Amino acid sequence: MGPLHHLIRKEWILLGRDRHSLLLLFLMPTAFILIMSLALRGLFAGHGAVAVTYVLVDSDKSRASAQLAARIHAHPEFAAVDTPGDEEALRRLLRSGRTQFLVLVPPGFGASLDSGEPRPVRLYAAPTLDAAVVKLFDAALREAAARVYLRRSLDGLGPNPDGDSGAADRALERVDALVVSPPEEPGKSAGPTAVQQNVPAWLIFAMFFIAVPLSSTWVQERAQGTYQRLLSMGVPRWKLVLGKAIPYLCVSLAQGALMLAIGVWLVPLLGGDALELGAHPEALALMIAAVGFAAVSFALLVANIARSVEQATLLTGVCNLLFAALGGVMVPRFIMPPTLKAIGACSPMAWGLEGFLDVFLRRGGLADVAPRAGLLVGFGCAALSMAAFLFARDRRG
Amino acid sequence: MVSSGTLPLKAEPPLIEIEKLQFRYPESPAPALDGVSFRVERGLLYGLLGPNGSGKTTLLKLLAGILAAPKGALRIAGAPVETRTSRERSRCALVPQDFAFYPRLSVRENLEFFAGVQGYGGSDARERIAETMRQTALESWGDHRADRCSGGLKRRLNIAIGLLGRPELLLLDEPTVGIDPQSRHFILDSVRSINRAGTTVVYTTHYLEEIQSLCARVAVLDRGKLRAEGSLTELLGGGAGAAGALEGLFLELTDSALRD
Repeated sequence: MGPLHHLIRKEWILLGRDRHSLLLLFLMPTAFILIMSLALRGLFAGHGAVAVTYVLVDSDKSRASAQLAARIHAHPEFAAVDTPGDEEALRRLLRSGRTQFLVLVPPGFGASLDSGEPRPVRLYAAPTLDAAVVKLFDAALREAAARVYLRRSLDGLGPNPDGDSGAADRALERVDALVVSPPEEPGKSAGPTAVQQNVPAWLIFAMFFIAVPLSSTWVQERAQGTYQRLLSMGVPRWKLVLGKAIPYLCVSLAQGALMLAIGVWLVPLLGGDALELGAHPEALALMIAAVGFAAVSFALLVANIARSVEQATLLTGVCNLLFAALGGVMVPRFIMPPTLKAIGACSPMAWGLEGFLDVFLRRGGLADVAPRAGLLVGFGCAALSMAAFLFARDRRG
Repeated sequence: MVSSGTLPLKAEPPLIEIEKLQFRYPESPAPALDGVSFRVERGLLYGLLGPNGSGKTTLLKLLAGILAAPKGALRIAGAPVETRTSRERSRCALVPQDFAFYPRLSVRENLEFFAGVQGYGGSDARERIAETMRQTALESWGDHRADRCSGGLKRRLNIAIGLLGRPELLLLDEPTVGIDPQSRHFILDSVRSINRAGTTVVYTTHYLEEIQSLCARVAVLDRGKLRAEGSLTELLGGGAGAAGALEGLFLELTDSALRD
């Protein structure tokens, strides 16, 4: 048995006795996955759509105004808030942010549709709302109003010569048929559920936190002269690197297996959705291995940059939080504005997360995840090369 | 013409030969070692004296092959340090000043690990571990975690790891720093007996009385230069006097100004 075997065995023993690191690497992501998957279940249920609330005040009480309200209510993304009060009170409610839209249907709205001078519905939006959300609600309201108007106009034409009175309904059906959304393929969905988003997100986050114990022990061994001693005993530097990297790579694979198991079995036991692993386990394995390699290489780079344990911990924390914030771990990237989304595309955590979502949501196979796995391996190779260069020229041993 | 009788024996080279050795750390303006030359014969207990920053530890690292010297010659047993094989390197053991072992491993686990990485396994490793534990009186501390040992025990473990390879050259970098008089006395006794058993020892320290009680020859380094080299008798002008005499000589050679 060569030095590498003893280096790996030693690392296992040390890691097994480091309870704080084990808690950080295994308990932290478990807690995050459970909390976030359960707490954000409702938010993710609409495939990532933002829950929009509105107050609709119908001062007309006509058939037309009822049709308009019914049309808006039919949108699953919009939630009506039933709040009594005059217009001024409702606008205060809007400014306070307790509802996002206020729709006022004026008296005589229905009757005015025939007059040629319709009385317009007024729409107020909360001042802090994203412009895209305002446009979305505005478009939905206009579409509802257009339908009411169209129905009224078609009904006004009376029955056709064949005595058919359902012409308006059929005309609207034809309007509906102008744009169709193809049905989703079985097993594919447009956006992640809470568990599909949070399991890979916090798994990747925890895998990159391997840098804390790895870099701390590396810095300590270097500072205490242990590496000098090993080098003087003829142990080559590359074996010191591998002796550290291999056990931590195994730890990251164990993290992957455990967090997926939590998503599949534990989250549903607690009332959340079960994680569906997709149809290609080999693609999933590739993503876990690629993220693990990137994380361990990054950890070795931090270890060779840092001069002290404090520096290593700080550097790891700051880099990981930045990677996570930009990479969609903390805030899903699909709700980020385009600029931030573009910046986030440079985060290795984003590559990892998108790769996992390729497998979970898009039923991606090896070929589908290969580009993102390739990016992670490239990042890992670059970090490892830099770490090896710094270690080779390090005179501290 | 035919000669008769035995062939003349080839003289064995000194264990350490250092010639015009220079070394400078990349970030440092001044050389750590500047034209140092001396020899250490086999079986000697050799003292390296010098104030902080004089180049003692750098010289030990060069001898251990951790650093490579760009200028000058450094040979161990006649072979340049940089050409030695792994096995040859393990015959020269460095005991650093810091506790260069794993605090979370027990005393025995540390010894097993360092024996293993040097390629000793099975009964050979067990024998070596038992031998070094005996030499350093660690037999009853094998299962103690290293971070829970006293300073003296840690120093002994640090030395024990260096002895695992049964080195022919032992480089001890200030092995008695921060320990009680009993542990210090034990370590000095151990160093003597290791040397008596045939191991050449290079010993660095700030404690002049240790040099005086242990070493046959001494080199005094200051600011990377060799200021004096010889036996204590030679250096002290014929009278191997009290520790005070050596201290006087030391301060004369290195001047008394503070170094850090």
